[in-house]
Amino acid sequence: MAEIIQEQMGIYDKLQILSDAAKYDVACTSSGVDRQGDGTGMGNCQKAGICHSFSADGRCISLLKILFTNECIYDCKYCVNRSSNDVVRTSFTPDEICTLTMEFYRRNYIEGLFLSSGILKSPNYTMELIYAALYKLRHECNFQGYIHVKAIPGAAQELIQRVGFLADRMSVNLELPTAESLRLLAPHKNRKNILAPMRLVQQKMEDNKQEIVLYKNAPRFVPAGQSTQMIIGATPETDYQILSVAESLYKKFELKRVFYSAFVAVNEDSALPARTGEGPPLLREHRLYQADWLLRFYRFEAGELLNEKSPNFNIFLDPKCDWALKHLEYFPVEVNRADYNTLLRVPGIGCKSASRIVKARRMGTLQFEDLKKMGVVLKRALYFLTCNGKMMYRTKIEEDYIMRNLLNTKEKLPDSVLGMTFKQLSLFDDMTPGQAILR
Amino acid sequence: MKQVYICHDTITGIFSAIYDAWKENRDGDSGIALRGVIIPQLFCEYIEVEETVQKSVAVERLIKKNLGYNAYWDLYHALLSDDCERADAVYHTMLEARKVKDSKKIMEHLSNPHVAKVFELSRKVANEAHFFTEFIRFRELENGVMLSEITPKGQVLTCIADHFTNRFPLEHWMVYDKTHRVFLVHQAKKNWVLVQGEILDTEAAGRISETEEEFAELWKGFCKSISIEERENLNLQRNHLPIRFRQNMTEF
Repeated sequence: MAEIIQEQMGIYDKLQILSDAAKYDVACTSSGVDRQGDGTGMGNCQKAGICHSFSADGRCISLLKILFTNECIYDCKYCVNRSSNDVVRTSFTPDEICTLTMEFYRRNYIEGLFLSSGILKSPNYTMELIYAALYKLRHECNFQGYIHVKAIPGAAQELIQRVGFLADRMSVNLELPTAESLRLLAPHKNRKNILAPMRLVQQKMEDNKQEIVLYKNAPRFVPAGQSTQMIIGATPETDYQILSVAESLYKKFELKRVFYSAFVAVNEDSALPARTGEGPPLLREHRLYQADWLLRFYRFEAGELLNEKSPNFNIFLDPKCDWALKHLEYFPVEVNRADYNTLLRVPGIGCKSASRIVKARRMGTLQFEDLKKMGVVLKRALYFLTCNGKMMYRTKIEEDYIMRNLLNTKEKLPDSVLGMTFKQLSLFDDMTPGQAILR
Repeated sequence: MKQVYICHDTITGIFSAIYDAWKENRDGDSGIALRGVIIPQLFCEYIEVEETVQKSVAVERLIKKNLGYNAYWDLYHALLSDDCERADAVYHTMLEARKVKDSKKIMEHLSNPHVAKVFELSRKVANEAHFFTEFIRFRELENGVMLSEITPKGQVLTCIADHFTNRFPLEHWMVYDKTHRVFLVHQAKKNWVLVQGEILDTEAAGRISETEEEFAELWKGFCKSISIEERENLNLQRNHLPIRFRQNMTEF
């Protein structure tokens, strides 16, 4: 194991190395908790979160995202810090973390701290270090801003609990969607070890709710909830498998968010997909986030969007349109009568416009012009809606016909995906042969 | 003949003009124009307004009492924008409120063009203010004061003052609005104040503390190293962080 440990490294170099190593973590949100400063320290939190800058890849910079150390005893194949990689290793001291956080926060650079870590010596040892840093930050520096911390799988329950009282959000990375992939790519981790701290945090949060009811000033345990992330595209799981995993995490572990991270090849390894020069699978990541929204806000279930027979998302249509086209028997829907849940399922109608429709139709019957003002995207919705029994134009309720028209209107993909070239799309060609011509 | 009241481009000025117009002419044909940006029209009578704090306070009370705090919030934010017709829009929104059944719901009457205008302006200012809670950058001066300079379109200082006061209660800090030449000053453990009519001493503002340069460099380095090269997308970055904000930001 070739390893270089440099004792005398400046803080600039340390920050370079340890932020560079942390950048593959997706979550940089500072949301979920509202807390006013009490006037004795520095900082407050806003429920919606605040972004402070945007890096060249267009992702938001909200928190000071760093690793405590990039030394690691594990050898996860996809990770840049795996023990078999020959990279410069370094660690922060708790003091350095406090100085950086406080001074950056004071200049309004950041909203708080995101602290993750490689495993130094043992999970417990690492968790102790993290605790020491957070304790200092909260109690000596009196920092009242946002803290997101990683729970290290395998660390003692009691330690994780103590850290949870200092942090706003905790996350345990699921790393890969299935236990089998985990065994292949992260030989030192196992599913059980990852789910155990997740369950612990969930239970502790539940207990804490009771405590707060009894004692208003009881300390809060992870008030912004917990999240997790998994890597997409390093292993052969289908979108259906991934989405089902996410769904059960939301249901069984009450997670706030599941993040998807398009696999970026940093290591050469026979167990990993070969480097293709096509970049990370950003469109796939985008589709998963769209479906994730459908699960959380649109009352869809994973089994409705995908199934064993068609386990991957359509690259040309967003998951909601795709679902609607396969279930034309439910459409068209009458705007003036359909209930809220039914409206939510119409492509082109979002949560806001659906509730506006429900409110506005109490005052009078709605026409297509009214829908436009309420924010309904008619170019998509018109195939699925009637107003007073009439459709907007004469259209056929027929899969091919609507598909052709929807594809003509062109989905507005976010810039995060638009950077892609046709070459990248062709990755999926063999799954949907012939459709590439449509574009 | 239409009576147009002329006032200075300040909240006190505009409220005073509304006071006069409301008192003398609320049933006739009247309007409000800002000094310096009006284009004189035929068949109008222009009236100079005597601006006083008393008038301003009276109008504030009138709005709060009759239209409610929420509507006041919208009207006030609309007045902070840089639109040259904002005073007129606010005045006519107030006139419109007399006609509707429940004046407190005036901001829901978006079919009225004046109300729609106020709504749009107030949203614009509130959005810009939110951008500044994100993108303001402080630098530490030699004497320990944190200073930030911004160039906003609207007068957002009062909108962001509470946020930063709550966030940095123990710091001396100051935000300078270069567009409108106003300071927002916060002394440790005290509430904030607005200071007008002073000029920023650029020489003193340039004397930064010893460690300031180091932290700025650390931050710049962090912003570079946190970006994933394989995902680089400058368009997306520009969508989220428009160029006009970058002139006063440390990392650009």
